[in-house]
Amino acid sequence: MTVEERVLDGNAAGGLLLELFGVDLTAAPCMCGGCGAREEVARLDVYVDCPGVVIRCRHCRNVMITIVRGPERTWIDLRGTSMMEF
Amino acid sequence: MPIISRGFRGRRQEGPPDRVPPGQYLTDDFPVLSAGPTPHTSLEEWTFTIEGGAEPVSWSWEELQALPREEVTVDIHCVTKWSKLDTAWEGVSVDTLLDAVEHDKEYALAYSDGGYTTNLPIEDLTDGKAWVAYRYGGEPLEAEHGGPARLLVPHLYFWKSAKWVRGLQLLDEDEPGFWEQNGYHLYGDPWREQRYWGD
Amino acid sequence: MAGTAVLGRLTWLAATVAATNEETPRVHTLTLDVAGWGCHRAGQHLDVRLTAEDGYQAERSYSIASAPGDPLAITVERLEDGEVSPYLVDDVAEGDVFEVRGPIGGYFVWDGDEPEPVLLVAGGSGVVPLMAMARHRAQVGSTAPMRLLYSSRTWDDVIYRDELATLGIDVVHTLTRQQPPGWSGYTRRIDDELLREVAFSAADGPRVYVCGSTRFVDAAADGLVRLGYDPRSIRTERFGATG
Repeated sequence: MTVEERVLDGNAAGGLLLELFGVDLTAAPCMCGGCGAREEVARLDVYVDCPGVVIRCRHCRNVMITIVRGPERTWIDLRGTSMMEF
Repeated sequence: MPIISRGFRGRRQEGPPDRVPPGQYLTDDFPVLSAGPTPHTSLEEWTFTIEGGAEPVSWSWEELQALPREEVTVDIHCVTKWSKLDTAWEGVSVDTLLDAVEHDKEYALAYSDGGYTTNLPIEDLTDGKAWVAYRYGGEPLEAEHGGPARLLVPHLYFWKSAKWVRGLQLLDEDEPGFWEQNGYHLYGDPWREQRYWGD
Repeated sequence: MAGTAVLGRLTWLAATVAATNEETPRVHTLTLDVAGWGCHRAGQHLDVRLTAEDGYQAERSYSIASAPGDPLAITVERLEDGEVSPYLVDDVAEGDVFEVRGPIGGYFVWDGDEPEPVLLVAGGSGVVPLMAMARHRAQVGSTAPMRLLYSSRTWDDVIYRDELATLGIDVVHTLTRQQPPGWSGYTRRIDDELLREVAFSAADGPRVYVCGSTRFVDAAADGLVRLGYDPRSIRTERFGATG
């Protein structure tokens, strides 16, 4: 299966985000820091086949959120998201 | 303490400890790991550039193909815990490319189509340790696996072997690339299990 | 350092397998007993985590098949090279335990108090969360028109085949690889013409839920937009390729 066929959506990151933020974020609107598009997390492109979880804007492909889980620490990069509302 | 599920093993294979670094499992397939859509660059547009030396040096696809080609068989180790032994690649040694550049730098940042970056000491790119590889398993490197050409640096975790590589920026200081900015180790030696910051 | 570990203890719950049921040779439903489980909404999913004796872990997401008023159940398709699904389909027995996290999902949900017609479009095991919606509709006595367009490879691959006919919703099957003798239904992948024949008119203001592989979901959603559907009325959930 190609990468294009394996890309998922924000529903797939829902459990991880629930664990990290304590809130279900799948319906939370986010604004892309690249193009300004506003979409719920469920409508973002999610790549899970990599050494972390990478969430991209579906319109401009900008990386909005990157999450890496180590054995004892988690790193979250939200630079590509200019706003999340929940 | 997580609950153990009776009889669950997963699909892992252990491997010989002198070939498989700590914490790794063997795989027979070649998993495609990607953090973004697969770039597709035509060979007509493709160039490889080394910047940061006395002046930038660039090769077109034809020029790269004309350089001495090496065949290497190496083991590769992904930080997501799979290792694959005896993978066969063909490409140009990074030594050959760096020989064309006058520089006094110590570090490099490899950059790729699609925006991916990864950093390495130049020392880890020389003396037969790294290639710009464009054939895998006897065939042209597929786009999904980084084609037309990727960096190949097998002695470090495979995230350092940047897919869709288009060049190196030579730098005075080590500058973290994509995964290194997000918790992954700046150097990434699988034999010392350097997966994350502080390992 | 303790932060994420503590949160983990709060989110993962012990799930005991109360029953297993074969839907098709490759697809089983597991009814779960989870102490501390709240309620869920139709369309939500949960995450399953398996831990081996040496500490190795694997996690996967599965849609909840049961209606909110029924015992919690997930339906799992065994994937060829899967790591978790073969365990859940072939190995698991009543009394076995693993961990679950959830319910998850605030977007791909249908609560049953919405009056608009609902179009459900399922590709293979993508039918699972949509089945929860159809079961929920029957349970709460909603009169919102509901129609399921369900793409499967063969008649034997159709999950919940018999129950679907009893739920009081329109069900349109398309069997894309092989059809039983005498089959007069659709035999092809969903395309614009099929959608035009099956979907509600866009003017009816329907809600749409599409679930299946990424390729299936994107194709169906694009097709509905070409039919005049408001893109924001189409909710999608892409199923993973890994299992």
